[in-house]
Amino acid sequence: MQETVISIQSAEKTFPNGVQGLAPITLDIFPKERISLIGPSGCGKSTLLKLIANLHQPSEGSLSWWNKDFSEVGKENHRLSFVFQEPTLMPWSTVRKNVRLPLDLEGIAPAVSEPRVQEALKVVGLEHAAERFPAQLSGGMKMRVSIARALVTRPNLLLMDEPFGALDELTRNRLDEDMANLCGKDDLTLLFVTHSLYEAAFLSTRVMVMAAHPGRIFAEYEIDPAIPRDEAFRLSDTFAMICQDLSKLLIEASHSSLVAKVA
Amino acid sequence: MPARLISLFAPLAVGVLFLLLWQGICYIWHIPPYLMPAPSDIAHSLFSNINPLCHALYSTLTVTLAALLVSVVFGVLVAFVLVQHPLIERSLMPYVVLMQVTPVVALAPLIIILVKTTLLALIVCATLIAIFPIISNTLQGLKSVDPGLAAFFKMHKASRLKTLLRLQIPSALPMFMAGLQISSGLALVGAVVAEFVAGTGGNSAGLAYEILQAGFQMDIPRMFAALFMITLTGLALYMATSSIRKLVLYNRIQH
Repeated sequence: MQETVISIQSAEKTFPNGVQGLAPITLDIFPKERISLIGPSGCGKSTLLKLIANLHQPSEGSLSWWNKDFSEVGKENHRLSFVFQEPTLMPWSTVRKNVRLPLDLEGIAPAVSEPRVQEALKVVGLEHAAERFPAQLSGGMKMRVSIARALVTRPNLLLMDEPFGALDELTRNRLDEDMANLCGKDDLTLLFVTHSLYEAAFLSTRVMVMAAHPGRIFAEYEIDPAIPRDEAFRLSDTFAMICQDLSKLLIEASHSSLVAKVA
Repeated sequence: MPARLISLFAPLAVGVLFLLLWQGICYIWHIPPYLMPAPSDIAHSLFSNINPLCHALYSTLTVTLAALLVSVVFGVLVAFVLVQHPLIERSLMPYVVLMQVTPVVALAPLIIILVKTTLLALIVCATLIAIFPIISNTLQGLKSVDPGLAAFFKMHKASRLKTLLRLQIPSALPMFMAGLQISSGLALVGAVVAEFVAGTGGNSAGLAYEILQAGFQMDIPRMFAALFMITLTGLALYMATSSIRKLVLYNRIQH
């Protein structure tokens, strides 16, 4: 049996106000997969991501991380990082200190953490901005810092909750390419929430289309992981076809959500 | 003219115009100084009584700064306790509010009787007035942590102490500084109120006592001179705390 990074067994989420955020979901995520969650607003994409990050607890069902309990997460080869919708940086700290934060929280000495911080900043191309404060950065740069902070722990699973939603198209495309390169190089599993089906088509090896009322997985769409994710791919017929397919699935999911809401 | 110079000189010009108008009215209508002293009478009284007034100012300033310090120390400590659990906040907050809404001017005679040392009694009164904004603002600041950052700390299994030191305290700093700015003014108000009560009871101290004494002696220019010094002190305190606030929060502002 192949090892799973995340295994979700009939996990569902009902909020304290009685609203069912997620119907029972069963899903296995395997190493090196790049999975996007797309769907209409309120379909539970972020809720599912937060269940996986252990920021929410399932009302029913269970989750396992590398076939273990969440208490094992954080140990060698079982590292998880989360990139939020907003950069969520500490405005009182420099870029360097923001990136170093997860290592500081783990109690790693600066002498050990500093080279890793430098490495993470290099990956996102922000070595020159290490001593700047968040207020001195553009939106795209802040998001890069947030990504560097997630990468500095050398995660095996990276969870991203619509991180590039507030950025312009060009910056978003550039960051998508950076992410694709990063996933190609490292032994990294990526789970990505997005509203953009183009982003999902570009980055993913598997797209989960979700529907609302209640939140559920409506369809799965596989994309060949062997296809190089570069500018040529973005301009190719294959990419256009994938986008078309995803668009159709998204329309069907939205329709299904509306029908469920009326019912 | 640069905008910065305009913003500096515009209020100054208004002030000078106001003083000239005041002086003119007193001069034209021959208003006697015991009814309404002209600015020149006040200035004359200020310089001729500079030694006792400065001595009184020192006393008022001592009470004000001591009350501000005590308010900061106790206010922050109380806020730390309140933020530990919603039940603690719900249990204690009504008493904090009760302390704020009870007029200190009514409590002051009792405090002055109970606390034998005049200086200490004045500090207690001023603290009671100045402490509330510190508690309230620090508490709100500690609670207004960015939810994303709070989730980040939780995900990285940060201890309660690390979360307090590295997240909650820095997050609370802007609101604490705003509270400090309000409290600095209130500490002065508290000191003056307490001095009035103590002064009427025969305990001499501070600028408020100077105002009382000048009133008894119908020396109205001196009364205004003491009032002028209180106003100036309030302004200086506001500017000092404003500068500290800008300095502390410098890096959080987009330059």
